Amino acid sequence: MATRILKRTGVSHDMCEQLKRHQIESCKDLLSLSAVDVMHVAGLSYQKASVLLQSVSKAVAPPVTTALELWKQQSCFSTSLPALDKLLRGGLPCGTITEVTGPSGCGKTQMCLMLSVLATLPKSEGGLESSVIYIDTESAFSAERLVEIAQSRFPDYFSSKERVLQMAGRVHLFRELTCQDVLNRLDRLEEDIISTGAGLIILDSVASVVRKEFDTTLPGNLMHRSNLLGHEASTLKYLAHQFNIPVVLTNQITTHVGSKVDPGFVTAALGNTWSHSVNTRLIVQYVDAHQRQILIAKSPVAPFAVLNYTIEKQGICIDGDDSRESLYEGTDPGLQPIRVQTGFNYNLNTSTDCTD
Amino acid sequence: MQRSVSSLSLSPSVKMKLVNAGFQFTADLLHLKPLQLSKEASLTQQEALEVLQTVRREGGGGDEGGGGGGAAAAAASASLTALELLQKEEEMKSIVTFSSQLDAALGGGLPVGKTTEICGAPGVGKTQLCLQLAVDVQVPQCFGGVGGQVVYIDTEGSFLLQRVVDIAAAAVQHCSLLVEDDEQRVAMETFTVETILSNMFLVRCHDYVELLAEVHLLPDFLSEHPRVRLLVIDSVAFPFRQHFDDLSQRTRLLNGLAQQLIAMATGHGIAVAMTNQMTTRLSGGGQSQLVPALGESWGHAPTIRLLLHWAGSRRMAAIFKSPDHRGATVQYQITSEGFRDAGQSEQPPSKRPRTQSVEPAGSQRDASR
Repeated sequence: MATRILKRTGVSHDMCEQLKRHQIESCKDLLSLSAVDVMHVAGLSYQKASVLLQSVSKAVAPPVTTALELWKQQSCFSTSLPALDKLLRGGLPCGTITEVTGPSGCGKTQMCLMLSVLATLPKSEGGLESSVIYIDTESAFSAERLVEIAQSRFPDYFSSKERVLQMAGRVHLFRELTCQDVLNRLDRLEEDIISTGAGLIILDSVASVVRKEFDTTLPGNLMHRSNLLGHEASTLKYLAHQFNIPVVLTNQITTHVGSKVDPGFVTAALGNTWSHSVNTRLIVQYVDAHQRQILIAKSPVAPFAVLNYTIEKQGICIDGDDSRESLYEGTDPGLQPIRVQTGFNYNLNTSTDCTD
Repeated sequence: MQRSVSSLSLSPSVKMKLVNAGFQFTADLLHLKPLQLSKEASLTQQEALEVLQTVRREGGGGDEGGGGGGAAAAAASASLTALELLQKEEEMKSIVTFSSQLDAALGGGLPVGKTTEICGAPGVGKTQLCLQLAVDVQVPQCFGGVGGQVVYIDTEGSFLLQRVVDIAAAAVQHCSLLVEDDEQRVAMETFTVETILSNMFLVRCHDYVELLAEVHLLPDFLSEHPRVRLLVIDSVAFPFRQHFDDLSQRTRLLNGLAQQLIAMATGHGIAVAMTNQMTTRLSGGGQSQLVPALGESWGHAPTIRLLLHWAGSRRMAAIFKSPDHRGATVQYQITSEGFRDAGQSEQPPSKRPRTQSVEPAGSQRDASR
């Protein structure tokens, strides 16, 4: 609403012309000035300038509701993992950004593929009954794996080939390989969401393009990168809120260099500012060659919790029963140490492991 | 004391015409009539009338004479004695945070009539504290609360209803256990989760322009809803940290915003709570430090600053700017019921969930099967 043109907010034609002479055409331009500046630019007395600002503000300001009205609307996207859903009080919250971060091969893309299948399921099966917009920057998307997860996880529902094809047709894949491409795609995403009827946006991954193009040791690049990420975050939050859909992103890991006294450790990439921007952060990490864990490292509703899982044919499977909650002593989600794979399973005679 | 014509709150073109016609000080204008002024200064009759009204309103009151505010400003500029202010401040209550240690450090809770900033690292509990305050402001007066409504401006999308319901339910239960007399019993009938939610006015702003527009409109909103006692902005930092090429413009806008918030806090008798993020500041030698975002000049805007930070896995709240109280640091925790004192557990030990230690990278345990 900030880019709304002044002409259409009821400001008089003469005033619009006068402001145009000072390059003020949209509400954003006018509201970015202080009242005294508006006096000079518009040639009005202080009181009249305040009245002008008030009327333009009315055109821009978002509506006021109460929390009670929101109670009827907001919903969650169930992840089909009961233990995780219980901790998150229903699932991934709609209208917010959820980030999945962790070392390579741990299951982030698997999680994204699984969520894509879930979103296309009808509401009776626990899905969102909608399309999925999948923005892939690493070329890691595998349609075969998508179908395999669908058929293994919901064998009854996907018993007919027709349904499988219909599901696959509802996942819209966009391959973007540079930062600018990703930004352009996000800026135009509104149209794609409306035309495809999307109920879930996945961006896999945020970190890869940014880390390719920005060397943060060079001066000025850190700020540039933060601005870019901030732009992406605010665009995604806007879309998530306006359409009331969940947004899932994946991130990578980086080494946090320690001082001489303590050794460094591995943590989520993209820095402290990015940790502020995501609403929920799920960390996936290794326990040993087979066993992995999901940590809820940042959430407005859930405590610090850890769940063990493995990756099977049907996607992510959480071990153990749901009645016990496993909590851990967490810390700043931007500094939570992440356990990486320290050994490799060379013994290929045992059950095949599905790493992405 | 002579007041110059160019300091009046008139439009620049009118002022220029007056100065060109030879009117330097307001004293020159005091005894004129509109028609005469319009001929001498080549103003329209309307403009001449406006000039004279402004002069009488502003020029006559001496040095103080209100800014652009009009008659009300002139009346309010009569001075207050410290005694009157002391009486006023005693009437102003504080909003409890349900963490008794933090309330004690703040002198009762978040003060009404002042602006407070809550800054901290991600995930440390800023939004949780804001949600707790939004519920606590509604605690009825007979229980020691303020019994007011809240305007919650969300710029990050962290306002999740399930969490608010949990916190509200816990607060209602807490109060229902304290009921002692009839007055409190009656008050509990109107203090339920539904009424708590209906007293929270929610606005979702996506960028700084929407935030500024909303703050412009708030004084009217507050006049129409006199029961509002708390304004929460979560967070101020997020919309102002992107899309700004000109940082000096950002500083100007933030200062303007701060002034408006302070005016609302004192003028309408509300508490203002704002959250801020942290940013990495690189000092010489490659060392980096986390400092509050939005720059040094923003530090002057709030009256009280709370810094929430991590000490290992413990959460600490430090008061590092306050005109009334010493800087103090207390520990707190976030439970399923909301913001509470650390070490306070309402569940018996057997019911507490099993805690698993999550081992960091480079750990001691051998990863081989």
